[in-house]
Amino acid sequence: MSEKVLMKVEAISKIYQMGEVTVNALKDIDLEIYQGEFVVILGPSGSGKSTLLNVLGGMDLPTEGKVFMEDQEITGYNDKKLTAYRREKVGFVFQFYNLMANLTARENVELATEICKGALQIDEVLEAVGLGDRKDHFPAQMSGGEQQRVAIARAVAKNPALLLCDEPTGALDFKTGIKILTLLKEINKKYNKTVVIITHNVPIGAMADRVIKMRSGGIIETQINDNPIHPEGIEW
Amino acid sequence: MKKLDVRLLRLIKNSKGQFISIAVIIILALTVFVSFNMMRDNLDNTIAHYYDITNYGDVFVEVTRIPGNAIENLYDIEGIEMAQGRVSNDVPLRVEDPNEKVRVRVVSLPQEEYIVNDLYTIEGRSLQENPRTAVVLQQFSDARSINIGDQITPYIAGRDYPLDIIGIVGSPEYIYLMENEQSLLPAPERFGVIYVTEEFAQSAFGFQGSYNQVVIKIQEEHLNKIDTIVEDIEDQLDRYGVRRVTKREDQLSHSMMMEEVEQLDQMSTAIPLLFLIVAAIIINIMLSRIVKNDRMSIGVMKALGYGNRAILAHYVKFSLAIGLVAAIFSSFFSIWLSQVFTNLYIQFMNIPLLQMDIYYIYFIYGILLTSIFCVVSGLMGARNVIKIMPADSMRPEAPKAGGRILLEKITFLWQRISFSWKMVIRNILRNKRRAAFLVLGIALTYGITMVPVFMASVWGNLFTIHYGEFQTMEYNIDFAKPMNHNAIRELTQILEVDHIEPKVEIPFELRNGWRKKNVSVIGIPQDTAFYNFKSPSGTPIVVPRDGIILTEGLGKILGVEIGEEIVLKNFIPDREDTTILVEGMTQQHLGTNAYMNIDTLNHVLGERDMITGVMMNSEDQVVLKLQDVKNISQVQSVEDMMNSFLEFMDMIIYSVGIMMLFGGILGFAIVYNTTIISISERTMEFSSLRVMGFDKKEIYKMISRENGLMTMLGILLGVPIAYGMCYGVVSAFATDLYSIPLIIEPRSYGVAAIATIVFVTVAQLATIKKIYRLNFIDALKNRVS
Repeated sequence: MSEKVLMKVEAISKIYQMGEVTVNALKDIDLEIYQGEFVVILGPSGSGKSTLLNVLGGMDLPTEGKVFMEDQEITGYNDKKLTAYRREKVGFVFQFYNLMANLTARENVELATEICKGALQIDEVLEAVGLGDRKDHFPAQMSGGEQQRVAIARAVAKNPALLLCDEPTGALDFKTGIKILTLLKEINKKYNKTVVIITHNVPIGAMADRVIKMRSGGIIETQINDNPIHPEGIEW
Repeated sequence: MKKLDVRLLRLIKNSKGQFISIAVIIILALTVFVSFNMMRDNLDNTIAHYYDITNYGDVFVEVTRIPGNAIENLYDIEGIEMAQGRVSNDVPLRVEDPNEKVRVRVVSLPQEEYIVNDLYTIEGRSLQENPRTAVVLQQFSDARSINIGDQITPYIAGRDYPLDIIGIVGSPEYIYLMENEQSLLPAPERFGVIYVTEEFAQSAFGFQGSYNQVVIKIQEEHLNKIDTIVEDIEDQLDRYGVRRVTKREDQLSHSMMMEEVEQLDQMSTAIPLLFLIVAAIIINIMLSRIVKNDRMSIGVMKALGYGNRAILAHYVKFSLAIGLVAAIFSSFFSIWLSQVFTNLYIQFMNIPLLQMDIYYIYFIYGILLTSIFCVVSGLMGARNVIKIMPADSMRPEAPKAGGRILLEKITFLWQRISFSWKMVIRNILRNKRRAAFLVLGIALTYGITMVPVFMASVWGNLFTIHYGEFQTMEYNIDFAKPMNHNAIRELTQILEVDHIEPKVEIPFELRNGWRKKNVSVIGIPQDTAFYNFKSPSGTPIVVPRDGIILTEGLGKILGVEIGEEIVLKNFIPDREDTTILVEGMTQQHLGTNAYMNIDTLNHVLGERDMITGVMMNSEDQVVLKLQDVKNISQVQSVEDMMNSFLEFMDMIIYSVGIMMLFGGILGFAIVYNTTIISISERTMEFSSLRVMGFDKKEIYKMISRENGLMTMLGILLGVPIAYGMCYGVVSAFATDLYSIPLIIEPRSYGVAAIATIVFVTVAQLATIKKIYRLNFIDALKNRVS
């Protein structure tokens, strides 16, 4: 982990209009994420963590405030530039994997890599997530854990600066969840990727370099772990 | 291959039923577009080429008698390239069965090198000097199995003339072989044309050194002044008793052929357009459904960095793929269909040179047209891709606002509807736009099905109205030359007659200012029992004492109204033209005529008690007994007309079948696709019902009820649409020669409804698999597309 700032978030707020209700999803948040860091954002549902992740990943724009990626302000981007940002800089892992049902594991990864520069070797990445022999299977033929590995491979193979994971273990059983977390940790180390995980599962925080706790759209606490534990030591 | 394209191919594979059904509609559209356009060009070009090589005339003049040297004088008129005289008369032909009435038109051919209206020799030799030889028109020789070397015997002026057939020919004048405007249909086994030497015709008909017809060719650069030239010709030939001057555009075969070309032209636009629009709407609905289903996938694509354009293109390629696959198949089909059509034309018409040229430009136009339709409908259908925000798409969609429907507020009614029907009605109203499309689609199917059903009954109606209501005589007898009224008495001595009336039928040129038209004016007794004139609104019209009754179409051509005067220009030498008051407009579906009181007409002609024929009802063997009677040129019986009509029905049934198939395919595609989409949209709902204990049959029954209700509504809406379509067909088919009565029989509505229900049911059955294969556990578990 270095002291180099990868992303910088300045005073962002996000207000939604859901039907007749106005939701203050994010309230005046400041945040920095460092290169190579493993960050866990903790919070109950409705705390605004998903919204924050979406803003970081260029999937959503804040109502107010600025977001910088490597000194570039992405909040000023138009749709086209935002698309390019997602393409080159960010890898997403979703709670429900969100694979393309009619593409095989390998094709799902290729779908992501064929539009970006400097992608990693697909087979190597699939090997690294432990799917070397399952790469020609369709999502429906794989277990949840395997599907999530494909999703991680899809995000990693793009060789993004930032890996954003939205409840990556949320749909998995404990054992598989730990395996996925171990994999993310390995990727963090092996490829020196910045990984941001959002979860409501408090014990996961123990493996992070830094834990950011959120509630009601604001950061209530930031905790630095000098000695993050190995995921296998986590229990819930 | 790009992974998005791989995904596309698998998407297509998974929805192949829809893909194929839409492709079939586009294949139909394109096939009709390409082949009808090619056929029109082929027919048009071939006819032009045929006219060219046979030196087809521009003006045809019928006179009482004209000597050869008078024809030479025609060259004084500027613009006349060639003028040739000929003798032409219709006579009976001797055939084995004495009850069979066969007539031939005996036409003389000049012994010159360069002939106007030359013949195209198909088999055998061309006509030589031997006066006892003849060549015969192909349609006639085919229909009567006449071969080279056979002998045929026309009966001319009381004598048999056996002639040796030495050749079989085609003529530009008889591509479409009909005896006259009143014939309705070609009947080549009962009417034919034979060509004989000038020497033979002149001596047999008593026209030594003279002719009764002049065929004129006009120099090309003077064709724009044809009307002035025709007037000059009329003036110059006036003293030879001009009976009729016909320009090429009014010539029977030519105008029928041009009608055919025109119809091909209209069909080549109307049918493809209708089918492409339907296909475009289905594509639109289908793609918008797929995009909705793929909401999360689209979000993922966007998260991965795919732009709107790439994702839109992904879906538009789906519709484009349908279009391109259809284009490939239709290319083969249109060549095949053109071939079939060409063969039909060759079989039913006499165009010896007709061949099928392929015009590739129409393939290109067709593919371009389809591509545009597919891209536009694809973009319209997939446009919501742009609206999908990657962040939102990860969350399940908020349930749509539900509310009470209007019907529910009418509690009295609503309470009487069973629960399952309530569900059906709510479901229909849940997606009003699609329900509207389904109803409209079924209505359209109903309309398209109605057109052939209507057309099938049209000819019958045309026949019964013209020969059963408008004119009721059983026989129409024409004399070879004008006779005195006493001829009636003579006839009643030969035949047992129930009722007989005299008639005078004489060609006139009717004029109103610059508008003019050559027609037969028929003089009948004022108290005629054989004609029932009716105004378009249905009011009976009595034969006026002094005025004239025009057919409705003729009134339009001349631009006159009742109460206005027109000029009767007769073709009798040195006779003044007469002005006459239009006193009535009658509906007449077959042919164009004008009617007058027989005495008034005689007065106009400067005659007394002259008749040119009779009309009568008789139980006697009229044809047989009049066989050898001198001075009778033709005996037309309604029964003959009926027979030729029945033969024609075979061809009608064939084309009715094809049209029905078109309607069926359309209906199938519309119902199949909307049902499949509706099922896929409600997978979750059906799964919930399954979990609750509904069985597959019950769910399927619900969908069937929805479609059933929609079919009923569709058919109701289809009634005015069908009427409109039939009206369109009627207006498109209306010509000088005939107009189709717009009468849709109650039975036709029923037949079309049954056909529509069959199409819908077949489509409905085709979707049953989707419900039975529905894996409800998976559907409930998996919220991810």
